Amino acid sequence: MQEATFLILTALANGSQHGYGIITDVQEISGGRVLMRPGTLYTALDRLHSDGLIEVDGEEIVEGRLRRYYRLTPEGAKTLSSEATRLQAHATTALTRLKLAGGMAL
Amino acid sequence: VTDGSKLERRYRRSLVWYPPQFRQENSEEIVAVLMACSRDGQRRPGLAASADLIRSGLSMRLRPSARSSAPTVRAAVRLMYTGAAVTTLSLVIGIISLAYVGQGAATLRAAGRNQPFPVAIAVGIVVGLAEIALWLWMARANSEGRNWARVISTVLFGLATLHLSGNKDALQVVFALVTWLVALPAVWLLWRPASSEVFKRQSVTQAG
Repeated sequence: MQEATFLILTALANGSQHGYGIITDVQEISGGRVLMRPGTLYTALDRLHSDGLIEVDGEEIVEGRLRRYYRLTPEGAKTLSSEATRLQAHATTALTRLKLAGGMAL
Repeated sequence: VTDGSKLERRYRRSLVWYPPQFRQENSEEIVAVLMACSRDGQRRPGLAASADLIRSGLSMRLRPSARSSAPTVRAAVRLMYTGAAVTTLSLVIGIISLAYVGQGAATLRAAGRNQPFPVAIAVGIVVGLAEIALWLWMARANSEGRNWARVISTVLFGLATLHLSGNKDALQVVFALVTWLVALPAVWLLWRPASSEVFKRQSVTQAG
């Protein structure tokens, strides 16, 4: 899974959000490192939607502008969960090995 | 006219890169997000944002039916578009080298004076254009999960393989080899189990 995809799914993990909300949230989750642009976001949303990982969760008009909310589907939550578990396992392995090496070198 | 509405009009204009269907369903929303992302008093779309819209819009056009597809099919389709690009490049370079370098140029100049345009060159250009069209057609049909397209792509790849030794000119050999190397993984990807799944599903949908 690409990092952008992972971050979008993570932004939607605890509730629905609209496009701009996802952009600011992704920036926050990544510690300000990932600035997602609208073009990239909507290409990703379109793909995630057609893959059945997200769905539209209503629309509203705020100050004359359309806001569409997205949320994870059960399939999307499952995919994110298994990807997060995989990344966590990798990270744990990396840190454990570094600690082992650190016992000698650092 | 305020700066804001000017900016909005410009953003709307840069959405033309997206497929019409997608634009119809999403442009209001994307414009809203673009406007929310813009700075106060901004009058023009930023370079990075424009580049991102162009890139995203085109990439969406190039994968018209990413829906109900598989990563292997998408990768194969991307390779086919690469094949079309390489073929276009080889045609352009071929024409340029014909027109300006070596014997071909002399032939062309002679043709300009008193002979009809050399048939071989005209045929070469038509064949080149047909090759590009084939790449694009195959890319589109495969991305839509048409099984006949997968079969035709494979047959075309077989013919290209047989034809590999038929090139004489060094430039032709290089380009034939490069396009063959693009086609090889594309065909391989089309027959991966994940791809077969897509083609099977699609033919069931069409039959039913």
